[in-house]
Amino acid sequence: MKKTLHINIGNSIILIEEDAYEMLTTYLIEVKQYFAKNADDLEIVTDIENRIAEMFGEMLVQQQKKVISIADVQSVIKQMGSVKDFESSEEENGGEYKKDNLPFSSVKKLYRDTDQAMIAGVCSGLAHYLDFDIRWIRLTALFTVLIGGAGILAYIILWIMIPRAETKTEKMYMKGQETNLRGFANIHLEPLMEQSKGFLAEFFDVIGNFATGTGKAIFKVIAIGIIAASSFFLISLFIAMIALLGIWDADVANYFPFSIVNDEYFTPLTVSAFVVGAIPLLALILFSARVAFSKREVNKTLSFVLLIVWLAGMAPLIIYITKISSEFKEGAEFSQVTELKPYTTYTLTVDRTRFFSKQDSMSYSIDAENYRGKKILTDIDDEFKAPRDTRLWLEKSENGKISLTENFRSRGRNFETALKNAQNIHYDFLQTDSVINFNPMVQLEKNVRWRGQEVELTLKIPVGTTVIISEEFRRYMSGNIYWDCEHEDRKGFYELLMTDDGIKCKYEATGRKSE
Amino acid sequence: MRKGILEYCVLLIISRGEIYASDIIGELKSARLLVVEGTLYPLLTRLKNNGLLSYNWVESTSGPPRKYYVLTPEGKAILSQLDGTWQELVYAIENSKNKS
Repeated sequence: MKKTLHINIGNSIILIEEDAYEMLTTYLIEVKQYFAKNADDLEIVTDIENRIAEMFGEMLVQQQKKVISIADVQSVIKQMGSVKDFESSEEENGGEYKKDNLPFSSVKKLYRDTDQAMIAGVCSGLAHYLDFDIRWIRLTALFTVLIGGAGILAYIILWIMIPRAETKTEKMYMKGQETNLRGFANIHLEPLMEQSKGFLAEFFDVIGNFATGTGKAIFKVIAIGIIAASSFFLISLFIAMIALLGIWDADVANYFPFSIVNDEYFTPLTVSAFVVGAIPLLALILFSARVAFSKREVNKTLSFVLLIVWLAGMAPLIIYITKISSEFKEGAEFSQVTELKPYTTYTLTVDRTRFFSKQDSMSYSIDAENYRGKKILTDIDDEFKAPRDTRLWLEKSENGKISLTENFRSRGRNFETALKNAQNIHYDFLQTDSVINFNPMVQLEKNVRWRGQEVELTLKIPVGTTVIISEEFRRYMSGNIYWDCEHEDRKGFYELLMTDDGIKCKYEATGRKSE
Repeated sequence: MRKGILEYCVLLIISRGEIYASDIIGELKSARLLVVEGTLYPLLTRLKNNGLLSYNWVESTSGPPRKYYVLTPEGKAILSQLDGTWQELVYAIENSKNKS
């Protein structure tokens, strides 16, 4: 089945197949171009057209058919002669009609190439016409748009002014292909263009196509970016999982917040957390890959499997998180009071070096024999190891005795476990004469999980006792102490005095006396 | 060398009486002077514009009306001139050939 057209040639109405029509049009345009220089071009071409019409008429009668086919056009052209035949016979006869400008076959016309269009084919048309690489034309156009936007106006004007290459012949002129039958054969198999439209209709078409053309290119770039980022996160997640599972001895399990998780839950929780995190990333990568590489839609079975695996990962994650949260349900605390040697002035400080007891060294898997009596610098600067868990309050002693109360607190599934957790707290301080050295943080035995263990210290001192606080202490401890009571002589120290009204800055309490 | 001969032949063919372009071509083709029809039309147009030819429109049984060409008196005069020139040429060539 072929599309046929009615044409009027030499005042005859002829029914002609579309491909035959294209070929005939090409031929007639060639002929017109060839004779364009001749003063009598119109008459010559009319003669030729009339003759062609006559030949068609004869063919239809002789072959008893109604439609002119491409074979008929070919035979007519053979009889009439192509432009090359005209040229060669002219050479013999003195070359009267030879055009003295460019050889005919390379004549180019400016059309918009909507086949290679980003927007409306202005740049691609210019590229054909100027015989430039289209990329340079587009770059130049983009540049003119970026500097002041003059390019946009120029583009729209060119869009309106330059006709679109609609027929195959026009496309051949646009590309400067040899507009003879060989050139025609080159594009003969190309699909036919749709019907011509007005500027506005084309404008909206172009806006629509932009989303699937240039817009698509932008989406592709974004999609590739997403793929790269997702892949990076996926790999990070995988490394994190491996580290947490202890395949590399990263010791992260002892750091907050991983120190919350019970040992027996740790592996399944890590794996399920990985699955829950990784599946959406994987889905994102698959989806972006589809956008970027225009692949067909992700297999339904695959997406279903992904969903199931994700849910399967989500379930244990929720269960374990619920279980772990339940271990914070009940609280328990107990106190331990230690009487201190009486002095009128105490210096409170935090020493980041501490003495390991035998118990400590065992809990840290340190060979007690080799480390006895040695100072070990503990890494308490690491904020992630545990939340701040030590506080100190200064209170007035009513009975004149000086004491330090350690209040150990923890949480647990029930009161017993909470109390047990509280009893597992190791906290030490050391009094050397009037200097009290505090451990800035709670020590948990290895394998004891963090359950909100904390220590609240209450130092009870009688009225008139001076407390000097070091800068280190101020940094690591919290409580009710007035931290801005700077010492008059010693820089980096703070001086407080217990009065009848409670603790006060010493210079406030005694300031008037010293003046 | 062949320049002018085609025109002379066309004038000769037309001088025999009113004739249609495709019939001219038929004769020219059999005389191996022309291969394709397309080259004849500019020739005819040029001769006509030089006043050597004129044409009449004749209704055709099939298709559009046809142009039938005839010689003008001027064309006839030119043709007799050309006849003379041709005789001179033939004489010159024959003479050269026979003496060798």
